[in-house]
Amino acid sequence: MNKPLINISLRRTMTSGPTYLAFIVFTILILLPVYWMTRSAFATSTDLIKLPLIYFPQPTLRNFATLMEQVPFGLYLRNSFLFALSTALVTLLVSYLAAYAFARIRFPGSGVLMWILVLSMALPDIGTIVPLYRILKTLHLSDSIAGITLILTSTLTPFTVWVLVSFIKQVPYEIEEAAILDGASLPQILWHILLPVTMPGMVTMGLINFVNAWNNLLYPLSFTTSPSAKTLSVAITEIYAGFSPWGKPWELIMAVGVTMTVPIVILVLISQKSIVRGLTGGAIK
Amino acid sequence: MDNTMNISHRKSALISSRISLPRSTRRKYLLFILLIAPAFLLRLITAAYPILQTIYLGFTNLSVLKGTNAFVGLDNYLAMGTNIGVRSASTFTIVFILATTILELAFGMMIALLLNAKFRGLTFARTINLIPWAIPTIVAGYAFRWLLDDQFGLLPFWVTQLTGLRPAIFINPLASQIAVILVHTWKDAPFMAVILLAGMQGIPEDLYDAARVDGANAWQRFWRLTVPLIMPLTITMGLFRLVWSLGSFDLVYGLTFGGPGVATSVLALQVFREGILFFKFGFASAISVILLILVAIIGVIGLWLFRKSEISY
Repeated sequence: MNKPLINISLRRTMTSGPTYLAFIVFTILILLPVYWMTRSAFATSTDLIKLPLIYFPQPTLRNFATLMEQVPFGLYLRNSFLFALSTALVTLLVSYLAAYAFARIRFPGSGVLMWILVLSMALPDIGTIVPLYRILKTLHLSDSIAGITLILTSTLTPFTVWVLVSFIKQVPYEIEEAAILDGASLPQILWHILLPVTMPGMVTMGLINFVNAWNNLLYPLSFTTSPSAKTLSVAITEIYAGFSPWGKPWELIMAVGVTMTVPIVILVLISQKSIVRGLTGGAIK
Repeated sequence: MDNTMNISHRKSALISSRISLPRSTRRKYLLFILLIAPAFLLRLITAAYPILQTIYLGFTNLSVLKGTNAFVGLDNYLAMGTNIGVRSASTFTIVFILATTILELAFGMMIALLLNAKFRGLTFARTINLIPWAIPTIVAGYAFRWLLDDQFGLLPFWVTQLTGLRPAIFINPLASQIAVILVHTWKDAPFMAVILLAGMQGIPEDLYDAARVDGANAWQRFWRLTVPLIMPLTITMGLFRLVWSLGSFDLVYGLTFGGPGVATSVLALQVFREGILFFKFGFASAISVILLILVAIIGVIGLWLFRKSEISY
């Protein structure tokens, strides 16, 4: 009876050495760029170009103040947030309806339609950039948050449907059946019966799509030109391209980087389990 | 015989009660179409139609700045042969997608093994593992550009302190290519680890117990049990990564913008440059078609590999 216990403790001491070494290397590799970015965002430009390098410069918020003065930083922040939120919500709405159909209404051919939708994920976003540019012009949606929301929603929908289908399939059909017998209509079922029980899946995909949209560069960069529609991801490329006599304004670039990273990392850290469930939901049953 | 008939009959009755939500079959179809309509309309307008447009535009010399718009047959494709940017990007794209996918699978597997072990700090490790995934790719590109800066970057500074050499990564084509591949791996290997970890956790513990009883050591358990059992998942993820890396453009945009020269340019960046920066819609579309053909090739190879791996179990 004691044997397994001894065995386990022996195994632990044997593996702990290499495991801890791997853990330390892993932690350094992950956090080094994060440290470098944070350190530079809160430093003055003169502290960044001193040799030997200063590991912990005197922290200052001056770079953020400079950003506020020199670019419409508040507007970019608002645009990023609006774009991410509206993309996440519209994608959820569109995907939830389709996922319900695929999960609950079965007939020959519905599986094929599902596969067409899922396989369309494989199309590289960049491959359609030229026609999309012209389509947005025709629809009078170029240079607007609505336009880039429409396009990113379409890009994110296949994966969202795929994951939501598996979430809905896990819900026992009996719940809906009982509601149908009670005379509930389809909108009532979708909104009052099924939505509360699939909420974890909806939250997960909402978070993942929010992160995706917040981080998206291609569509805002290609389709927006005015400050009223540009996002932070576009702003950072413009500040990088914008020249300063002493080279790149790294303290400002890193300050935008920190602004873009902090909300997302906080979101991920508090909802880690939920996000992992979503990311693996599509790949594994 | 009668019995089984009966059971299967009952089964189908059960299944049809699942779909008896709307009374008639017709209403069922209508409902189905109504529910999937928003998703499919979106895909038709912003994916299916644009793909056809891209293929068509690839045969034209449509250029907003030059004001040309004529059918030119295969001219764009022939022009690619002499276009240094596209030729270099084609080669590097292939190297880039293969190298990053292999490295991401390898490092993803190592991270997954670490996150599957038991040690103090495991929760911390699993949490920070999501940071590279969460950081915007363009931000990661700039952060590494600055980390690797030849004058004031941390890593070159350490190298100089240790060896006295002064590495200048971004003026050296090979070093820049390696940097692009390694930074892309940094960004995406942790995501791969999340998927592979879930796969590993799906393997029943009994199998490991049985292997232990048979005297298999940790090394043997990994190669004889873990690896074969998550092989289908690994192949699937590898193929997904190949396809996704093909369209990847943010990282190169931030880290090198294709430089020095065109050493690290990928086809995705060429499409952006020719199409969005220079408004050469025809030529950019032709490059897009090359990307689509590559996706199709990977897809066919993928299906073949997948069939093979399924048969062998």
